[in-house]
Amino acid sequence: MITPAPTVRVHDLVMTFGRTHALDGVSFDLMPGVTGLLGPNGAGKTTLLRVLATVSAPDSGSVHVLGLDPRHIDQRLDLRGRLGYMPQEPGFHARFTAFEFVDYVAILKELHQRRARHQEVRRVLELVGLGAVRGKQIKALSGGMRRRVALAQALLGDPDLLVLDEPTAGLDPEQRLRFRELVSRLGEGRTVLLSTHQTEDVVALAQQVLVLHLGKLRFAGTPLELAGLARGHVWQSQERDPGALAAWRTGTGQHRNIGNPPAGAELLEPTLEDGYLLLLGGDQVEEAAA
Amino acid sequence: MGGPDTRGAWHADGELLAAYHDQRLDAAACWSVEAHLTSCADCRVQARALVDPARLARLRAALIDTVELPRAGMAERLLVRLGVADHTARLLAATPALRGSWLLAVAAVLAFAVLAAWTNPGPDANLVFLCVAPLLPLAGIAAAYGPGVDPTYEIGLAAPLPSFRLLLLRATAVLGTATLLAAAASLALPQLGPGAASWLLPSLGLAASSLALATTVEPLRAIGITAGAWMLAVVVTVMPPAPSSVLFAMAGQVAFAALALLAVAVLLVRRGHFESDRGFDTTPRFAARRLR
Repeated sequence: MITPAPTVRVHDLVMTFGRTHALDGVSFDLMPGVTGLLGPNGAGKTTLLRVLATVSAPDSGSVHVLGLDPRHIDQRLDLRGRLGYMPQEPGFHARFTAFEFVDYVAILKELHQRRARHQEVRRVLELVGLGAVRGKQIKALSGGMRRRVALAQALLGDPDLLVLDEPTAGLDPEQRLRFRELVSRLGEGRTVLLSTHQTEDVVALAQQVLVLHLGKLRFAGTPLELAGLARGHVWQSQERDPGALAAWRTGTGQHRNIGNPPAGAELLEPTLEDGYLLLLGGDQVEEAAA
Repeated sequence: MGGPDTRGAWHADGELLAAYHDQRLDAAACWSVEAHLTSCADCRVQARALVDPARLARLRAALIDTVELPRAGMAERLLVRLGVADHTARLLAATPALRGSWLLAVAAVLAFAVLAAWTNPGPDANLVFLCVAPLLPLAGIAAAYGPGVDPTYEIGLAAPLPSFRLLLLRATAVLGTATLLAAAASLALPQLGPGAASWLLPSLGLAASSLALATTVEPLRAIGITAGAWMLAVVVTVMPPAPSSVLFAMAGQVAFAALALLAVAVLLVRRGHFESDRGFDTTPRFAARRLR
Protein backbone atom coordinates (compact mmCIF):
# COMPACT_ATOMS: atom_id res chain seq x y z
CA MET A 1 0.00 0.00 0.00
CA ILE A 2 1.24 3.48 -0.81
CA THR A 3 1.18 5.80 2.17
CA PRO A 4 -0.30 9.15 1.11
CA ALA A 5 1.86 12.24 1.50
CA PRO A 6 1.04 14.49 4.47
CA THR A 7 -1.31 17.34 3.52
CA VAL A 8 -0.29 19.50 6.47
CA ARG A 9 3.26 19.82 7.79
CA VAL A 10 3.87 21.84 10.91
CA HIS A 11 7.39 22.38 12.13
CA ASP A 12 8.53 23.89 15.44
CA LEU A 13 5.68 26.36 15.74
CA VAL A 14 6.13 29.04 18.40
CA MET A 15 3.57 31.68 19.28
CA THR A 16 3.63 33.90 22.34
CA PHE A 17 1.15 36.38 23.72
CA GLY A 18 3.01 38.58 26.17
CA ARG A 19 4.69 36.08 28.47
CA THR A 20 2.35 33.21 27.69
CA HIS A 21 3.63 30.57 25.31
CA ALA A 22 0.46 29.69 23.46
CA LEU A 23 2.44 27.35 21.21
CA ASP A 24 5.83 26.12 22.26
CA GLY A 25 7.66 24.21 19.57
CA VAL A 26 4.79 22.24 18.05
CA SER A 27 5.57 19.88 15.15
CA PHE A 28 3.38 17.31 13.43
CA ASP A 29 2.15 16.05 10.06
CA LEU A 30 -1.45 15.47 9.06
CA MET A 31 -2.74 12.91 6.60
CA PRO A 32 -6.03 13.06 4.70
CA GLY A 33 -8.85 12.01 7.00
CA VAL A 34 -10.17 13.29 10.30
CA THR A 35 -7.77 14.38 13.03
CA GLY A 36 -9.04 15.26 16.50
CA LEU A 37 -7.25 17.92 18.51
CA LEU A 38 -7.70 17.41 22.25
CA GLY A 39 -6.53 19.55 25.11
CA PRO A 40 -7.81 21.41 28.16
CA ASN A 41 -8.89 25.05 27.99
CA GLY A 42 -5.92 27.31 27.36
CA ALA A 43 -3.87 24.50 25.83
CA GLY A 44 -3.32 26.49 22.63
CA LYS A 45 -5.82 24.64 20.43
CA THR A 46 -7.48 27.76 19.06
CA THR A 47 -4.11 29.43 18.46
CA LEU A 48 -2.93 26.41 16.51
CA LEU A 49 -6.10 26.25 14.42
CA ARG A 50 -5.90 29.97 13.68
CA VAL A 51 -2.36 29.53 12.39
CA LEU A 52 -3.45 26.65 10.15
CA ALA A 53 -6.38 28.73 8.87
CA THR A 54 -3.86 31.48 7.94
CA VAL A 55 -5.64 33.86 10.30
CA SER A 56 -2.54 34.52 12.36
CA ALA A 57 1.15 34.16 11.65
CA PRO A 58 3.36 32.30 14.12
CA ASP A 59 6.34 33.99 15.78
CA SER A 60 8.57 31.28 14.37
CA GLY A 61 8.35 27.85 12.82
CA SER A 62 6.81 26.84 9.55
CA VAL A 63 3.51 25.59 8.24
CA HIS A 64 2.93 23.95 4.89
CA VAL A 65 -0.62 23.17 3.89
CA LEU A 66 -1.32 21.33 0.65
CA GLY A 67 2.24 22.16 -0.32
CA LEU A 68 1.65 25.90 0.12
CA ASP A 69 3.56 28.17 2.47
CA PRO A 70 1.32 30.91 3.92
CA ARG A 71 4.31 33.17 4.56
CA HIS A 72 4.18 34.08 0.86
CA ILE A 73 1.23 36.24 0.01
CA ASP A 74 0.26 34.58 -3.27
CA GLN A 75 0.50 31.09 -1.78
CA ARG A 76 -1.47 32.29 1.24
CA LEU A 77 -4.29 33.60 -0.92
CA ASP A 78 -4.21 30.36 -2.92
CA LEU A 79 -4.45 28.38 0.27
CA ARG A 80 -7.34 30.50 1.55
CA GLY A 81 -9.26 29.51 -1.53
CA ARG A 82 -8.81 25.86 -0.63
CA LEU A 83 -9.55 25.84 3.08
CA GLY A 84 -12.69 26.11 5.14
CA TYR A 85 -12.54 27.55 8.64
CA MET A 86 -15.12 27.48 11.37
CA PRO A 87 -14.00 29.67 14.28
CA GLN A 88 -14.79 28.81 17.87
CA GLU A 89 -17.14 31.75 18.24
CA PRO A 90 -18.32 32.42 14.72
CA GLY A 91 -19.89 35.85 14.46
CA PHE A 92 -22.95 36.49 12.36
CA HIS A 93 -24.58 39.46 10.81
CA ALA A 94 -27.76 38.74 12.69
CA ARG A 95 -30.03 40.54 10.24
CA PHE A 96 -28.92 38.39 7.36
CA THR A 97 -30.86 35.25 6.62
CA ALA A 98 -28.95 31.97 6.72
CA PHE A 99 -28.78 32.11 2.93
CA GLU A 100 -27.57 35.70 2.82
CA PHE A 101 -24.93 35.04 5.45
CA VAL A 102 -23.47 32.02 3.69
CA ASP A 103 -23.72 33.93 0.41
CA TYR A 104 -21.79 36.77 2.07
CA VAL A 105 -18.97 34.40 3.03
CA ALA A 106 -19.06 32.95 -0.48
CA ILE A 107 -18.37 36.46 -1.77
CA LEU A 108 -15.46 36.75 0.67
CA LYS A 109 -14.28 33.51 -0.89
CA GLU A 110 -14.46 35.29 -4.23
CA LEU A 111 -17.20 33.21 -5.83
CA HIS A 112 -18.39 36.10 -7.92
CA GLN A 113 -20.47 34.28 -10.49
CA ARG A 114 -23.90 34.94 -9.11
CA ARG A 115 -25.89 31.89 -10.12
CA ALA A 116 -23.10 29.40 -9.49
CA ARG A 117 -22.54 31.02 -6.11
CA HIS A 118 -26.20 30.76 -5.14
CA GLN A 119 -26.20 27.13 -6.18
CA GLU A 120 -23.16 26.46 -4.01
CA VAL A 121 -24.76 28.24 -1.05
CA ARG A 122 -27.87 26.08 -1.45
CA ARG A 123 -25.71 22.97 -1.67
CA VAL A 124 -23.83 23.57 1.60
CA LEU A 125 -26.98 24.58 3.48
CA GLU A 126 -28.63 21.39 2.23
CA LEU A 127 -25.55 19.44 3.35
CA VAL A 128 -25.84 20.60 6.96
CA GLY A 129 -29.61 20.01 6.90
CA LEU A 130 -30.63 23.66 6.91
CA GLY A 131 -32.20 23.77 3.45
CA ALA A 132 -35.63 24.38 4.89
CA VAL A 133 -34.69 27.38 7.04
CA ARG A 134 -32.37 29.17 4.64
CA GLY A 135 -34.79 32.09 4.37
CA LYS A 136 -34.89 32.63 8.14
CA GLN A 137 -32.96 35.42 9.79
CA ILE A 138 -30.00 34.15 11.77
CA LYS A 139 -31.21 35.81 14.93
CA ALA A 140 -34.31 33.59 14.76
CA LEU A 141 -32.28 30.36 14.61
CA SER A 142 -31.41 28.17 17.60
CA GLY A 143 -27.85 27.85 18.85
CA GLY A 144 -27.42 24.43 17.26
CA MET A 145 -28.68 25.73 13.92
CA ARG A 146 -26.31 28.68 14.05
CA ARG A 147 -23.39 26.32 14.53
CA ARG A 148 -24.56 24.44 11.47
CA VAL A 149 -24.72 27.71 9.53
CA ALA A 150 -21.13 28.31 10.62
CA LEU A 151 -20.22 24.83 9.45
CA ALA A 152 -21.99 25.40 6.14
CA GLN A 153 -19.86 28.45 5.33
CA ALA A 154 -16.72 26.39 5.99
CA LEU A 155 -17.86 23.86 3.38
CA LEU A 156 -18.18 26.44 0.59
CA GLY A 157 -16.16 25.61 -2.48
CA ASP A 158 -15.52 22.04 -1.36
CA PRO A 159 -12.24 22.82 0.47
CA ASP A 160 -9.32 20.39 0.70
CA LEU A 161 -8.62 21.35 4.30
CA LEU A 162 -11.29 21.89 6.93
CA VAL A 163 -10.32 23.56 10.20
CA LEU A 164 -13.11 23.31 12.75
CA ASP A 165 -12.76 24.87 16.20
CA GLU A 166 -15.01 23.03 18.66
CA PRO A 167 -17.71 22.36 16.10
CA THR A 168 -19.75 20.13 18.42
CA ALA A 169 -19.96 22.55 21.36
CA GLY A 170 -23.59 23.21 22.20
CA LEU A 171 -25.05 20.51 19.97
CA ASP A 172 -27.61 18.09 21.40
CA PRO A 173 -26.97 14.34 21.03
CA GLU A 174 -28.97 14.00 17.84
CA GLN A 175 -27.34 17.01 16.21
CA ARG A 176 -23.98 15.65 17.29
CA LEU A 177 -24.75 12.36 15.61
CA ARG A 178 -25.72 14.10 12.39
CA PHE A 179 -22.58 16.17 12.62
CA ARG A 180 -20.48 13.02 12.95
CA GLU A 181 -22.08 11.51 9.89
CA LEU A 182 -21.35 14.62 7.94
CA VAL A 183 -17.75 15.02 9.09
CA SER A 184 -16.90 11.37 8.55
CA ARG A 185 -18.20 11.72 5.00
CA LEU A 186 -16.17 14.91 4.52
CA GLY A 187 -13.10 13.17 5.89
CA GLU A 188 -13.03 10.85 2.90
CA GLY A 189 -10.31 12.32 0.74
CA ARG A 190 -10.06 15.61 2.62
CA THR A 191 -8.05 16.69 5.61
CA VAL A 192 -10.25 17.64 8.55
CA LEU A 193 -8.76 18.99 11.77
CA LEU A 194 -11.23 19.57 14.57
CA SER A 195 -10.67 20.59 18.14
CA THR A 196 -12.99 19.30 20.81
CA HIS A 197 -13.41 18.69 24.50
CA GLN A 198 -15.40 15.55 23.78
CA THR A 199 -13.26 12.44 23.73
CA GLU A 200 -16.28 10.58 22.30
CA ASP A 201 -16.13 12.76 19.19
CA VAL A 202 -12.55 11.67 18.66
CA VAL A 203 -13.32 8.00 19.27
CA ALA A 204 -16.21 8.17 16.84
CA LEU A 205 -14.55 10.14 14.06
CA ALA A 206 -10.81 10.52 14.13
CA GLN A 207 -8.14 8.42 12.49
CA GLN A 208 -5.48 10.54 14.18
CA VAL A 209 -5.35 12.35 17.52
CA LEU A 210 -3.23 15.26 18.69
CA VAL A 211 -3.10 16.23 22.36
CA LEU A 212 -1.99 19.74 23.18
CA HIS A 213 -1.25 20.89 26.71
CA LEU A 214 0.23 24.24 27.77
CA GLY A 215 1.36 24.94 24.23
CA LYS A 216 3.22 21.66 23.83
CA LEU A 217 2.23 18.70 21.72
CA ARG A 218 1.92 15.84 24.18
CA PHE A 219 0.70 13.13 21.86
CA ALA A 220 0.30 12.39 18.18
CA GLY A 221 -1.01 9.02 17.05
CA THR A 222 -4.12 6.94 16.57
CA PRO A 223 -7.03 6.87 19.03
CA LEU A 224 -6.09 3.27 19.83
CA GLU A 225 -2.56 4.29 20.71
CA LEU A 226 -3.84 7.05 22.99
CA ALA A 227 -6.07 4.59 24.80
CA GLY A 228 -3.12 2.17 24.93
CA LEU A 229 -1.17 4.67 27.04
CA ALA A 230 -3.46 3.77 29.93
CA ARG A 231 -3.03 0.03 29.54
CA GLY A 232 -2.24 -1.38 32.99
CA HIS A 233 -3.22 1.90 34.64
CA VAL A 234 -6.97 1.46 34.90
CA TRP A 235 -8.44 -0.80 37.52
CA GLN A 236 -11.64 -1.55 39.29
CA SER A 237 -12.24 -1.60 43.05
CA GLN A 238 -15.04 -1.59 45.61
CA GLU A 239 -13.88 1.65 47.19
CA ARG A 240 -12.22 4.74 45.76
CA ASP A 241 -8.51 3.97 45.65
CA PRO A 242 -6.67 6.77 47.50
CA GLY A 243 -3.59 6.18 45.36
CA ALA A 244 -5.39 6.89 42.11
CA LEU A 245 -4.94 10.05 40.07
CA ALA A 246 -8.65 9.97 39.39
CA ALA A 247 -11.42 7.65 40.48
CA TRP A 248 -15.13 7.63 40.11
CA ARG A 249 -18.03 5.37 40.90
CA THR A 250 -19.55 3.91 37.76
CA GLY A 251 -23.08 2.75 37.13
CA THR A 252 -22.26 -0.73 38.37
CA GLY A 253 -21.41 0.59 41.84
CA GLN A 254 -17.75 -0.25 41.33
CA HIS A 255 -15.03 2.40 41.26
CA ARG A 256 -12.95 3.01 38.19
CA ASN A 257 -9.45 4.14 39.11
CA ILE A 258 -6.75 5.66 36.93
CA GLY A 259 -3.12 5.89 38.02
CA ASN A 260 -0.62 3.39 39.28
CA PRO A 261 -2.57 0.33 40.39
CA PRO A 262 -1.74 -1.54 43.60
CA ALA A 263 -0.51 -5.13 43.28
CA GLY A 264 -3.19 -7.59 42.32
CA ALA A 265 -5.66 -4.93 41.17
CA GLU A 266 -8.42 -5.96 38.79
CA LEU A 267 -7.24 -4.26 35.57
CA LEU A 268 -9.72 -2.87 33.04
CA GLU A 269 -9.52 -2.28 29.32
CA PRO A 270 -8.55 1.41 28.91
CA THR A 271 -10.54 3.90 26.86
CA LEU A 272 -9.24 6.91 24.94
CA GLU A 273 -10.45 9.11 27.76
CA ASP A 274 -8.35 7.12 30.26
CA GLY A 275 -5.29 7.59 28.08
CA TYR A 276 -6.00 11.30 27.73
CA LEU A 277 -6.48 11.81 31.48
CA LEU A 278 -3.36 9.84 32.32
CA LEU A 279 -1.34 11.77 29.76
CA LEU A 280 -2.28 15.12 31.23
CA GLY A 281 -1.81 13.73 34.72
CA GLY A 282 -2.08 15.31 38.16
CA ASP A 283 -4.09 18.48 38.51
CA GLN A 284 -5.60 18.11 35.09
CA VAL A 285 -7.04 14.76 36.05
CA GLU A 286 -8.47 16.15 39.27
CA GLU A 287 -10.13 18.89 37.26
CA ALA A 288 -11.59 16.53 34.71
CA ALA A 289 -12.87 14.12 37.33
CA ALA A 290 -14.37 16.82 39.54
CA MET B 1 -48.20 9.98 -13.21
CA GLY B 2 -50.54 8.99 -15.96
CA GLY B 3 -54.22 8.20 -15.82
CA PRO B 4 -56.82 9.25 -18.29
CA ASP B 5 -56.77 12.81 -19.46
CA THR B 6 -60.12 14.17 -18.37
CA ARG B 7 -59.49 17.81 -19.24
CA GLY B 8 -59.20 17.78 -22.97
CA ALA B 9 -60.46 15.42 -25.60
CA TRP B 10 -57.49 16.11 -27.87
CA HIS B 11 -53.72 15.80 -27.69
CA ALA B 12 -51.22 18.13 -29.26
CA ASP B 13 -49.65 16.19 -32.10
CA GLY B 14 -46.02 16.36 -33.10
CA GLU B 15 -46.66 18.82 -35.88
CA LEU B 16 -48.52 21.23 -33.60
CA LEU B 17 -45.83 21.03 -30.91
CA ALA B 18 -43.08 21.58 -33.47
CA ALA B 19 -44.93 24.66 -34.73
CA TYR B 20 -45.28 25.86 -31.14
CA HIS B 21 -41.59 25.30 -30.48
CA ASP B 22 -40.59 27.16 -33.64
CA GLN B 23 -42.94 30.03 -32.71
CA ARG B 24 -44.99 29.60 -35.87
CA LEU B 25 -48.37 29.63 -34.09
CA ASP B 26 -50.64 32.63 -33.74
CA ALA B 27 -51.43 33.89 -30.25
CA ALA B 28 -54.70 32.00 -29.86
CA ALA B 29 -53.21 28.66 -30.90
CA CYS B 30 -50.21 29.33 -28.70
CA TRP B 31 -52.37 29.89 -25.60
CA SER B 32 -54.39 26.83 -26.36
CA VAL B 33 -51.26 24.67 -26.60
CA GLU B 34 -49.91 26.13 -23.36
CA ALA B 35 -53.20 25.60 -21.53
CA HIS B 36 -53.21 22.02 -22.71
CA LEU B 37 -49.57 21.42 -21.74
CA THR B 38 -50.18 22.50 -18.15
CA SER B 39 -52.80 19.78 -17.77
CA CYS B 40 -51.47 16.97 -19.95
CA ALA B 41 -48.39 15.06 -18.81
CA ASP B 42 -48.12 13.03 -22.04
CA CYS B 43 -47.87 16.11 -24.23
CA ARG B 44 -45.39 17.71 -21.84
CA VAL B 45 -43.12 14.71 -22.31
CA GLN B 46 -43.46 15.10 -26.08
CA ALA B 47 -42.80 18.83 -25.93
CA ARG B 48 -39.76 18.36 -23.71
CA ALA B 49 -38.11 16.23 -26.38
CA LEU B 50 -38.07 19.27 -28.68
CA VAL B 51 -36.07 21.45 -26.30
CA ASP B 52 -32.32 21.25 -25.73
CA PRO B 53 -31.85 19.66 -22.26
CA ALA B 54 -29.00 22.03 -21.42
CA ARG B 55 -31.28 24.98 -22.11
CA LEU B 56 -34.00 23.42 -19.96
CA ALA B 57 -31.53 22.94 -17.09
CA ARG B 58 -30.37 26.52 -17.45
CA LEU B 59 -33.92 27.85 -17.42
CA ARG B 60 -34.81 25.68 -14.46
CA ALA B 61 -31.80 26.87 -12.47
CA ALA B 62 -32.62 30.49 -13.29
CA LEU B 63 -36.23 29.95 -12.28
CA ILE B 64 -35.32 28.34 -8.98
CA ASP B 65 -32.79 31.06 -8.30
CA THR B 66 -35.35 33.78 -8.88
CA VAL B 67 -38.21 32.15 -7.01
CA GLU B 68 -36.24 30.88 -4.06
CA LEU B 69 -33.90 33.77 -3.51
CA PRO B 70 -34.73 35.51 -0.25
CA ARG B 71 -35.57 39.16 -0.78
CA ALA B 72 -32.48 41.23 -0.05
CA GLY B 73 -32.49 43.94 2.59
CA MET B 74 -33.48 47.51 1.76
CA ALA B 75 -29.95 48.93 1.72
CA GLU B 76 -28.81 46.14 -0.54
CA ARG B 77 -31.64 46.61 -3.01
CA LEU B 78 -30.97 50.34 -3.08
CA LEU B 79 -27.29 49.75 -3.83
CA VAL B 80 -28.08 47.31 -6.63
CA ARG B 81 -30.52 49.83 -8.07
CA LEU B 82 -27.74 52.42 -8.00
CA GLY B 83 -25.73 50.13 -10.23
CA VAL B 84 -23.51 48.44 -7.63
CA ALA B 85 -22.67 44.80 -8.43
CA ASP B 86 -24.74 42.41 -6.31
CA HIS B 87 -21.72 40.90 -4.55
CA THR B 88 -20.34 44.32 -3.70
CA ALA B 89 -23.76 45.36 -2.44
CA ARG B 90 -23.81 42.36 -0.11
CA LEU B 91 -20.37 43.25 1.26
CA LEU B 92 -21.51 46.81 1.85
CA ALA B 93 -24.84 45.81 3.37
CA ALA B 94 -22.93 44.13 6.18
CA THR B 95 -21.17 47.37 7.11
CA PRO B 96 -22.15 48.41 10.63
CA ALA B 97 -21.46 52.06 9.77
CA LEU B 98 -24.09 52.00 7.01
CA ARG B 99 -26.91 50.81 9.26
CA GLY B 100 -29.93 52.99 9.84
CA SER B 101 -29.03 53.49 13.50
CA TRP B 102 -25.56 54.73 12.60
CA LEU B 103 -26.83 57.09 9.93
CA LEU B 104 -29.38 58.45 12.40
CA ALA B 105 -26.61 59.11 14.91
CA VAL B 106 -24.56 60.94 12.26
CA ALA B 107 -27.61 62.97 11.28
CA ALA B 108 -28.24 63.85 14.93
CA VAL B 109 -24.65 65.04 15.43
CA LEU B 110 -24.91 67.17 12.30
CA ALA B 111 -28.25 68.58 13.43
CA PHE B 112 -26.76 69.60 16.77
CA ALA B 113 -23.82 71.24 15.04
CA VAL B 114 -26.23 73.20 12.83
CA LEU B 115 -28.23 74.13 15.92
CA ALA B 116 -25.05 75.33 17.62
CA ALA B 117 -24.38 77.55 14.62
CA TRP B 118 -27.80 79.16 14.86
CA THR B 119 -27.55 79.77 18.61
CA ASN B 120 -24.16 81.43 18.24
CA PRO B 121 -24.63 84.19 15.70
CA GLY B 122 -21.48 85.93 14.63
CA PRO B 123 -18.72 85.64 12.06
CA ASP B 124 -17.60 82.28 13.49
CA ALA B 125 -21.09 80.76 13.75
CA ASN B 126 -20.27 77.81 11.50
CA LEU B 127 -17.10 76.89 13.34
CA VAL B 128 -18.44 74.00 15.44
CA PHE B 129 -19.99 72.42 12.37
CA LEU B 130 -16.80 72.80 10.36
CA CYS B 131 -14.75 71.17 13.12
CA VAL B 132 -17.16 68.27 13.72
CA ALA B 133 -18.08 67.34 10.14
CA PRO B 134 -14.62 65.96 9.15
CA LEU B 135 -14.65 63.65 12.18
CA LEU B 136 -17.82 61.82 11.19
CA PRO B 137 -16.38 59.86 8.24
CA LEU B 138 -13.46 58.87 10.45
CA ALA B 139 -15.82 57.48 13.08
CA GLY B 140 -17.71 55.71 10.30
CA ILE B 141 -14.57 54.11 8.91
CA ALA B 142 -13.65 52.95 12.40
CA ALA B 143 -17.03 51.24 12.61
CA ALA B 144 -16.88 49.84 9.08
CA TYR B 145 -14.46 46.96 9.36
CA GLY B 146 -12.19 45.32 11.91
CA PRO B 147 -12.03 43.00 14.90
CA GLY B 148 -14.89 43.64 17.31
CA VAL B 149 -16.70 45.69 14.66
CA ASP B 150 -17.38 43.15 11.94
CA PRO B 151 -18.79 39.94 13.42
CA THR B 152 -17.39 37.89 10.54
CA TYR B 153 -13.94 39.44 10.77
CA GLU B 154 -12.36 36.14 11.83
CA ILE B 155 -13.97 34.16 9.00
CA GLY B 156 -13.02 36.91 6.57
CA LEU B 157 -9.35 36.67 7.50
CA ALA B 158 -9.29 33.06 6.36
CA ALA B 159 -11.00 33.93 3.05
CA PRO B 160 -9.14 34.91 -0.12
CA LEU B 161 -10.71 38.37 -0.53
CA PRO B 162 -7.96 40.74 0.70
CA SER B 163 -9.08 42.48 3.88
CA PHE B 164 -7.67 45.78 2.68
CA ARG B 165 -9.95 45.71 -0.32
CA LEU B 166 -12.91 45.18 1.99
CA LEU B 167 -11.75 48.04 4.23
CA LEU B 168 -11.32 50.37 1.24
CA LEU B 169 -14.67 49.41 -0.22
CA ARG B 170 -16.52 50.05 2.99
CA ALA B 171 -14.55 53.19 3.81
CA THR B 172 -15.47 54.63 0.43
CA ALA B 173 -19.15 53.89 0.97
CA VAL B 174 -19.06 55.33 4.48
CA LEU B 175 -17.18 58.44 3.34
CA GLY B 176 -19.66 58.97 0.52
CA THR B 177 -22.67 58.62 2.81
CA ALA B 178 -21.24 60.86 5.53
CA THR B 179 -20.27 63.47 2.94
CA LEU B 180 -23.78 63.50 1.48
CA LEU B 181 -25.33 63.90 4.93
CA ALA B 182 -22.89 66.65 5.89
CA ALA B 183 -23.49 68.43 2.59
CA ALA B 184 -27.23 68.32 3.17
CA ALA B 185 -26.79 69.60 6.72
CA SER B 186 -24.46 72.40 5.64
CA LEU B 187 -27.27 73.86 3.53
CA ALA B 188 -29.03 74.67 6.81
CA LEU B 189 -26.09 76.65 8.18
CA PRO B 190 -26.69 80.34 8.95
CA GLN B 191 -23.76 81.53 6.82
CA LEU B 192 -24.01 79.98 3.41
CA GLY B 193 -21.34 80.46 0.79
CA PRO B 194 -18.00 78.81 0.02
CA GLY B 195 -17.08 78.98 3.74
CA ALA B 196 -19.93 76.62 4.59
CA ALA B 197 -18.30 73.94 2.44
CA SER B 198 -14.82 74.28 3.90
CA TRP B 199 -15.30 71.06 5.91
CA LEU B 200 -15.21 69.03 2.72
CA LEU B 201 -11.51 69.06 1.87
CA PRO B 202 -10.41 68.43 5.49
CA SER B 203 -12.94 65.60 5.59
CA LEU B 204 -11.52 63.95 2.45
CA GLY B 205 -7.94 64.63 3.53
CA LEU B 206 -8.43 63.06 6.96
CA ALA B 207 -10.26 60.00 5.65
CA ALA B 208 -7.62 59.34 2.99
CA SER B 209 -4.79 59.87 5.49
CA SER B 210 -6.31 57.44 7.98
CA LEU B 211 -6.48 54.76 5.28
CA ALA B 212 -2.94 55.49 4.11
CA LEU B 213 -1.80 55.24 7.72
CA ALA B 214 -3.65 51.93 8.03
CA THR B 215 -1.05 50.38 5.73
CA THR B 216 1.49 50.88 8.54
CA VAL B 217 -0.43 50.66 11.83
CA GLU B 218 -3.62 49.06 13.12
CA PRO B 219 -6.64 50.63 11.29
CA LEU B 220 -8.26 51.75 14.55
CA ARG B 221 -5.01 53.32 15.70
CA ALA B 222 -4.59 55.02 12.32
CA ILE B 223 -8.03 56.55 12.70
CA GLY B 224 -7.30 57.56 16.29
CA ILE B 225 -4.05 59.27 15.26
CA THR B 226 -5.76 61.11 12.41
CA ALA B 227 -8.70 62.23 14.54
CA GLY B 228 -6.33 63.29 17.33
CA ALA B 229 -4.21 65.31 14.92
CA TRP B 230 -7.31 67.07 13.61
CA MET B 231 -8.57 67.94 17.07
CA LEU B 232 -5.15 69.20 18.04
CA ALA B 233 -5.01 71.34 14.89
CA VAL B 234 -8.46 72.72 15.67
CA VAL B 235 -7.58 73.56 19.27
CA VAL B 236 -4.28 75.19 18.32
CA THR B 237 -5.68 77.29 15.46
CA VAL B 238 -8.98 78.29 17.04
CA MET B 239 -7.32 79.58 20.23
CA PRO B 240 -8.45 83.08 21.15
CA PRO B 241 -8.16 85.78 20.05
CA ALA B 242 -8.61 84.18 16.62
CA PRO B 243 -12.31 83.25 16.37
CA SER B 244 -11.93 81.44 13.06
CA SER B 245 -9.33 78.91 12.07
CA VAL B 246 -6.75 79.01 9.33
CA LEU B 247 -7.82 75.42 8.62
CA PHE B 248 -10.91 76.74 6.87
CA ALA B 249 -9.14 79.62 5.11
CA MET B 250 -7.56 79.31 1.70
CA ALA B 251 -4.17 78.14 3.00
CA GLY B 252 -5.75 75.36 5.06
CA GLN B 253 -7.94 74.24 2.20
CA VAL B 254 -5.01 73.98 -0.16
CA ALA B 255 -3.07 72.04 2.45
CA PHE B 256 -5.90 69.53 2.91
CA ALA B 257 -6.35 69.09 -0.82
CA ALA B 258 -2.63 68.33 -1.03
CA LEU B 259 -2.89 65.96 1.94
CA ALA B 260 -5.76 64.08 0.29
CA LEU B 261 -3.80 63.67 -2.95
CA LEU B 262 -0.67 62.61 -1.10
CA ALA B 263 -2.61 60.08 0.98
CA VAL B 264 -4.22 58.57 -2.11
CA ALA B 265 -0.77 58.27 -3.70
CA VAL B 266 0.58 56.55 -0.58
CA LEU B 267 -2.44 54.27 -0.59
CA LEU B 268 -1.81 53.27 -4.19
CA VAL B 269 1.87 52.61 -3.60
CA ARG B 270 1.49 50.78 -0.31
CA ARG B 271 -1.78 48.93 -0.90
CA GLY B 272 0.00 45.57 -0.82
CA HIS B 273 1.45 46.16 2.62
CA PHE B 274 -1.78 45.89 4.53
CA GLU B 275 -2.17 42.28 3.47
CA SER B 276 1.41 41.07 3.33
CA ASP B 277 2.80 42.71 6.45
CA ARG B 278 -0.13 43.39 8.66
CA GLY B 279 -3.15 41.38 7.61
CA PHE B 280 -1.29 38.21 8.38
CA ASP B 281 0.59 39.50 11.36
CA THR B 282 -0.38 42.17 13.83
CA THR B 283 -4.06 42.58 13.14
CA PRO B 284 -4.93 38.96 13.80
CA ARG B 285 -2.67 38.91 16.83
CA PHE B 286 -4.67 41.81 18.11
CA ALA B 287 -7.84 39.90 17.38
CA ALA B 288 -6.46 36.81 19.09
CA ARG B 289 -5.73 38.77 22.20
CA ARG B 290 -9.29 39.93 22.30
CA LEU B 291 -10.52 36.40 21.97
CA ARG B 292 -8.46 35.04 24.82
